[in-house]
Amino acid sequence: MPERIDYWGIPHQWGSPSILVYSVMFLAGAILIFRFYLRARLWWKVGRPESRWNKLHIRLYNLIKYSIVQTRVLRQKYPGIMHIALAWSFFIFFLGTALATIDSHFFKFLNGTVFSLYKLTLDLFTVVFIVGAILAIYRRYVTKPERLTYQPQFTWSLILLTVIVFSGITTESLRLAVEQPINGVWSPLGWLIAQAFLFTGASEMTLTNWHLGIWLGHLLTAAFTVITLPVGSLLHILTGPVNIFFSELDRPMGQLPPTPTGRDGQPVYVSMLNELTWKQILNGDACTECGRCQDICPAYGAGLPLNPKDLILGIREMLEETKASPKENRYDRSLLENPKLSKEVMWSCTTCAACITECPILVEHIDTIIEIRRHLVIEGMIDSELQDALTNLGQYGNSFGQSPRKRAQWTQEFDPPIKDATREPVKYLWFVGDYASYNPALAEMTTKTATVFNQVGLDFGVMYKGENHSGNDVRRVGEEGLYEMLVEKNLSALDRCQYQTIITTDPHTYNTLVNEYPFPEPQTILHYSELLAQLIRDGRLQFSNPLNYRVTFHDPCYLGRYNGVYDAPRFVIKSTGCELVEMPRNRDLALCCGAGGGRIWMEEGNIQERPSESRIREAVKLDGIEHFIVSCPKDITMYQDAVKTTGHEADISVKDLIELVVEAL
Amino acid sequence: MTEIVVIARLVPDLVEELEIAPSGTALDLSWLRVIINEFDNHAIEQAIILKERSGATVTIISPEAEGVEDMLFTTAAKGADRLIKLTGIGEEKPTNLSLAQTLATMIKEMNPDLVLNGVQAHDDITGDLAPQLAQLLDMPYVGYISGVSLDGGKAKAYKEYPGGILAEMEINLPAVLGIQSSEEPPRYVAISKVRQMMNSTSIEEIQSSELETESGVVIKRMYLPEAAERAEMLEGDEKEVATKITSILQDLGLL
Ligand code: SF4
Ligand code: SF4
Repeated sequence: MPERIDYWGIPHQWGSPSILVYSVMFLAGAILIFRFYLRARLWWKVGRPESRWNKLHIRLYNLIKYSIVQTRVLRQKYPGIMHIALAWSFFIFFLGTALATIDSHFFKFLNGTVFSLYKLTLDLFTVVFIVGAILAIYRRYVTKPERLTYQPQFTWSLILLTVIVFSGITTESLRLAVEQPINGVWSPLGWLIAQAFLFTGASEMTLTNWHLGIWLGHLLTAAFTVITLPVGSLLHILTGPVNIFFSELDRPMGQLPPTPTGRDGQPVYVSMLNELTWKQILNGDACTECGRCQDICPAYGAGLPLNPKDLILGIREMLEETKASPKENRYDRSLLENPKLSKEVMWSCTTCAACITECPILVEHIDTIIEIRRHLVIEGMIDSELQDALTNLGQYGNSFGQSPRKRAQWTQEFDPPIKDATREPVKYLWFVGDYASYNPALAEMTTKTATVFNQVGLDFGVMYKGENHSGNDVRRVGEEGLYEMLVEKNLSALDRCQYQTIITTDPHTYNTLVNEYPFPEPQTILHYSELLAQLIRDGRLQFSNPLNYRVTFHDPCYLGRYNGVYDAPRFVIKSTGCELVEMPRNRDLALCCGAGGGRIWMEEGNIQERPSESRIREAVKLDGIEHFIVSCPKDITMYQDAVKTTGHEADISVKDLIELVVEAL
Repeated sequence: MTEIVVIARLVPDLVEELEIAPSGTALDLSWLRVIINEFDNHAIEQAIILKERSGATVTIISPEAEGVEDMLFTTAAKGADRLIKLTGIGEEKPTNLSLAQTLATMIKEMNPDLVLNGVQAHDDITGDLAPQLAQLLDMPYVGYISGVSLDGGKAKAYKEYPGGILAEMEINLPAVLGIQSSEEPPRYVAISKVRQMMNSTSIEEIQSSELETESGVVIKRMYLPEAAERAEMLEGDEKEVATKITSILQDLGLL
């Protein structure tokens, strides 16, 4: 029966080789832990305290999901397979080594079939590793995507891993060549290489000597890798899982944290390194530099100064500067002075959440950006357009600087008038939102929506001048005080109303109502796409005129990524008889229109290609698409403009979901 | 320390449609909301800039009106040191002369180096508050100033004249200046800062003396401008008006 032999071919005359192996690895491990401790200590030392120890079972679950199964890594095919191949093969090698240790010291079980299977698995994963390494080499040295970091430490890591694996399989095949065990074929790759060794005609003695040398090399490379792990690009093997373990669990993605208060009870507006929380600093140290966030960021794509990867690495950079001059002990370094974290960078973010949806190790970019924005707002470092919008919002409750009494001007043409929900009970309270209420170009869409509601006999009303801007984007701009004020006004207006369900046409409003408003009681809140889908399912909304358009649909960030509403609008589109063709970037991959996070109020800056234009170009590439369907009032203006500026007026037209419904009725 | 006093007034907010009261000689105030007078806002900004530049104590005085506290706290959040609400103002607007008299008594005690006021306000009929004040305080006055700097016992002020001519003038302090615009546009101040001020600052109230409401100027009629004969008014909503404008421009061969 085949059986695992401890330290085959390793001379025993200086005592058991395990003493050597264990002392080398123990030493390496101790150095690793010490160096890692030196690094990790800083997170807590520099950063603001924040508790992330609750819900341990979910944290454990996330650890398995994101750092072992690596579901996020697998979102992208090529890099996903590449990384999985490298990581999983090492998981298996690690497990294999651990099992061997158990077998040799505690419980002998690696014999017979189990042993053969054990060998087969290790051998197969060597092949898996080789595939991963080839993919990695091809990617890093041939295709060279822009998003990667090209620094020697990445090459070093790849070399070290490859040396470990190659020396491992060589040791193995040399053993097979000499020993020629009956289960040799269970290590197909090793067996194959063994044949090559046999072919050279080298003597058993020579092969055994080689075996010893390469085995030693294998051991020392492994030890070296462990020792250098905390200073190389493999550090993410440790920090990644730590970052994942401590990721945010108490808030949904659509909820921002309130302004934190410091020990002195004063609000903390983050502008210094040591005003970040330890977790925000850990983000910087954990970043794998994979560049996924950079790749998907609409601001970066548009040529704006923001690169989310650099932003996170900027934090690491500043921490490293701190370490470089530990005597000075200066942790109060101004973040904004680092060009990767400048105020222009902060103002470029549309808060589209693409980065945080993509990041394999759950870095939380947006929280950091918003906290720094809060500082910028307090210091008045905002551009004049944003200043006007905020002044108007404070003064009139809308960014248009119009009288609150004009909010419901679009209702004038309705007879009987649309119910005032602040005066009479309604079943559905429609939170109309600023753009749909005040933008003259959108009045038509708003009245169409109301007309459809009337036609299906929906008992609905609006709050007229009682409604204020919901504040979603005010909060994302970093004007927390104004946000709170708007919330208070809206809650007191809502408190005067009798209703069962809140509906809204605006995904931004939807997000803050669902995730952030401190309602005294649980609420039912629906986006109009969800309401329409419900009405269709209940048979209350029936279409007699099926449309035969070929259309595509744009997922609004605050409806899709933030709140997972992907299917309702698609169901409505299909129910109107349209054929829906998806853009390559659909659902949680959807590209932001560029208006979110208060960007719609700011100066555009030096933009190369607007995200909305890139989106329209993406849509017209689809075959025979007539209409670009949107379900957010801001999207109508954003994309109608983009269709004009890209010169695609003849190819595609922008339609709101409600227009399809009206046409199909 | 330099003492700067700014007089800030609230005026009807023009985002609301203006309506004439049944009397036909005044605005219907029942619907009107008020807002800080834009020129006074610039005067405040200029005062804060001076304070930031070389140190000063800034006092803001505002005649009472609905929302005046919020306005005053906002100025505190910007950097004003002392907030004063002038009470005892009745329904009817006092004349500038009597307001100036009350203010002058108050301001004299403060021994200011500089008194700033917006050069005009759109609800001010006679437009002479600042000059009257200068007269009563026996200080020099210049109006339509855009930008001030302080230099020892003198102020340097900039004034734009028609035709793009810029004048730089030197004024002996103390002085009263009518501000048209500050060097930098008025800053934004975060609401949380204003709210913080509400808890940490207080507004002093000073009772005004008897105020005159009748001056030698009498409003006989207040009305919305009527379309002149030659003007054609385009009726309709935004879209219709836009279409009409386009077709007119086309007719004129401009498009
Ligand atoms: S939220 Fe969107 S815009 Fe902001 S950094 Fe992330 S990907 Fe870029
Ligand atoms: S932040 Fe996340 S997605 Fe971006 S480069 Fe780092 S690890 Fe990759």
